[in-house]
Amino acid sequence: MQIACLALFILLFVNTRFREHVEPDASAHVFFHLDPLILAGTFLASYAVPAAALLALVTLAATLLFGRIFCGWICPLGTINHFVGWLRNRVRGLPDAPAQWSPWQRTKYYLLIVLLVMAAFGINWIGVFDPIALLYRSLTTAVWPALQYAVEDGSTYVYQADPHIGPVHATQVTEPVYRFFRDHIFLAPRQAFLGGGLLLALFAGIVLLNLVQPRFWCRYLCPAGALLGLFARRPLLLRLARRDDDCNACGRCTIGCQGLAAPGHGNPWMAAECFACWNCVSTCNFQALRFTVEPPLRKRPVAGLNLGRRATLGAAAGGLAGLFAFRLTPQAQARAYNPGLIRPPGAREEHHFLQRCVHCGLCMKVCPTNGLQPTTFEAGLEGVWTPMLVPKIGFCQYECNLCGLTCPTEAIQPLPLEEKKRVRIGLATIDTTRCIPYAYERNCIVCEEHCPAPGKAIYAVDTEITTRDGRKIIVKQPHVDPNKCIGCGICETKCPFADMAAIRVTSANESRHPGNQPILVGIGDLEGTAQQGYGGAPAEQTGASPYADPYGQQ
Amino acid sequence: MTHYSRRDFLTHSARIGGALALTQMGGSSPFAAETPPAMAIAKWAGDPIADADSTTLASMAVKLTEQALDAVGGMGRFVKKGDVVWIKPNMAWDRPPELAGNTNPDVVATLVKLCLNAGAKTVKVGDNPCDAAQKAYATSGIEAAAKNAGAEVIYLDENRFRKMALNGEYLAEWEVYPEIVETDLVINCPIAKHHGITQATLCMKNYMGVVGGRRNAWHQALPACLTDITRFMKPQLCVLDAVRILTGNGPQSSQLQDVARKDTVAVSADILALESFGVELLGNRPEARDIVAKAAAAGLGNPDYKALNPRELAVT
Repeated sequence: MQIACLALFILLFVNTRFREHVEPDASAHVFFHLDPLILAGTFLASYAVPAAALLALVTLAATLLFGRIFCGWICPLGTINHFVGWLRNRVRGLPDAPAQWSPWQRTKYYLLIVLLVMAAFGINWIGVFDPIALLYRSLTTAVWPALQYAVEDGSTYVYQADPHIGPVHATQVTEPVYRFFRDHIFLAPRQAFLGGGLLLALFAGIVLLNLVQPRFWCRYLCPAGALLGLFARRPLLLRLARRDDDCNACGRCTIGCQGLAAPGHGNPWMAAECFACWNCVSTCNFQALRFTVEPPLRKRPVAGLNLGRRATLGAAAGGLAGLFAFRLTPQAQARAYNPGLIRPPGAREEHHFLQRCVHCGLCMKVCPTNGLQPTTFEAGLEGVWTPMLVPKIGFCQYECNLCGLTCPTEAIQPLPLEEKKRVRIGLATIDTTRCIPYAYERNCIVCEEHCPAPGKAIYAVDTEITTRDGRKIIVKQPHVDPNKCIGCGICETKCPFADMAAIRVTSANESRHPGNQPILVGIGDLEGTAQQGYGGAPAEQTGASPYADPYGQQ
Repeated sequence: MTHYSRRDFLTHSARIGGALALTQMGGSSPFAAETPPAMAIAKWAGDPIADADSTTLASMAVKLTEQALDAVGGMGRFVKKGDVVWIKPNMAWDRPPELAGNTNPDVVATLVKLCLNAGAKTVKVGDNPCDAAQKAYATSGIEAAAKNAGAEVIYLDENRFRKMALNGEYLAEWEVYPEIVETDLVINCPIAKHHGITQATLCMKNYMGVVGGRRNAWHQALPACLTDITRFMKPQLCVLDAVRILTGNGPQSSQLQDVARKDTVAVSADILALESFGVELLGNRPEARDIVAKAAAAGLGNPDYKALNPRELAVT
């Protein structure tokens, strides 16, 4: 079951990419929607969740009845931790003394309180710690690109070093491997992400903590486990039954316990810490332990959490402190806009976007140009690892709306393609001190060539210039029409300047922020009534679509 | 690069010897037959076909391509048994066929079939696109059509481009895709489009899809760079798709008003002949003629296509 869930997660992960004639469907979100922490955090922060996220209520109900089966049987990060912990025990042998329940296991509950308090005041940092979002983000931005890099560049190196002489070639081995991975495993061009090394290191850290103790993350840190623990304090149906007469207090059950839930002799069972993994039952030589399904009326002794009033309040105060710290920037107070923070098309107004975004990286995974990159501090600490378009790396493909269709919390709205094509995410600016026909006396026009806007937002004007030797020549100098530019950034990606493009896109004029629109669009049409200018939605956009006013207040 | 091996030498010598022997045998000589023309232009002469009638339009594209190829002597003239062929269409843009940003998928699929029928071992189809490759390959319709016809559709791996000696007048070396160069025949198969700087993008500019690196810098000296890559690629067979052409806002547009129907497919063994035919089709602009003139000065072909007596076919 555990392996099946992990396999399903990875299968869904690999499948979440551009495929011809296949629109991303809700299956990609199954784990996100099963995760009650994402439901709780998104709901507290934005008071709105996609209907499918209510699936998490099923998880909560199951937890109420049977305990933390999500942690023990479904969570893919839990399975990875379980596996690495099992490897550790295989290699190093089981610990001599049974580890007992530790008060440090309360850490995760305090972390949960901090996150929920912050969420209640509109800062959704749940996704930074949520196991599903964390795993997805790490796989997308670090693990998968690293694997693809190793296979592709390794075989390419062999391919290029091969002297093409004689009958035996190393490429006879490496090329089939390369093709197999390309055609059956990776299926999409390689991606690379800003700060991927840090994300890889953090993920490796979490995995390696299993060497300190198996399932370290699950036992001490995971806030989703903590939320489920709160609901699993007294599972209504599933109970661990211990016959003390048969028990010789050998401690094997406690050594094998995944959650440090004290199944053994002498302590009350910590139901909130139990993953219902059955290790204790199967290791007992005397069948002194078993799980029973019992009607709720027959109570067996279960240990409480005892979080402590003082510590709980302290955690809540910590959440408030974090809240103030995050908001103490001019940007967070919407008094300044970061020119480099170009959000994907359909992204909500920044506050509402951050309230919903769970930092999971699904949008970056599906972006076919690799242009969507994780922020570091561009959106403040509050918005760490949220998506931004970096046109120097990749552009927003005109005929693509995958990021919105894939977002599990609709932080990026699922706009229909025709509507997405009209959303402005930024504005191109020409740097005439670098642009070749302005600064270097020759033609170029690569930006105009690539501009996808209907009728082209970039147009060339034949302009007479005087060359160094006094000749008059005509060059085609590009200009940007702000009425047409949607800020997709292909001009910046394709500009021959590889260090700093001579045409650059900033977040100016983005549809989602009226406060960031210095250029009034549609002025040329003021005479007629064909186009509505100020205020975002172009006039063709009628009220028929549910997203007719994508930038209204939710 | 194809290497001329000892075996090739022996088989070629034997063939030439055999052919010479045959010519000595009088009337039955295959060479006594009329040599096929170097160029053919197939134009639809049947009832006009509506844009929306995609099935009839597709069968028209197939007929135009087949008959044009037939007129220049058939695919067997260019493809030997066991050859590996690379078809280089224009599939650079994430645009559907109606917007005329990419080569017509039915033209490409027909070429694939003709190559396989002529005995090609493998037919590969690939381009180095401007838009995201997965999107461009799929939206153009070429990926599905070529696969259906039996081709391998290849995504270029940007790390596998290799600096090669072009020994050009201007470009001494550039990153070229080895897998393309290693094939026995590259069929250059562009669509005729308007372009902001050259006013026409045809066969020569289609070669920008076999190179990597910072190829966009070529726009500062297109006639010289395109001449150099064309010389390096040694074109043997070019097929120009003018079923639809793009008349403005090229090389890709998002509006149908920039698209015109010409219902024409032209084939030539001489790249410059086909190039000038395309330049005429797109309004005969001086910027476009400059490129052809530059390549002609380098001896890459005959730009006076009418002098080749192209066979003009009225296809119904």
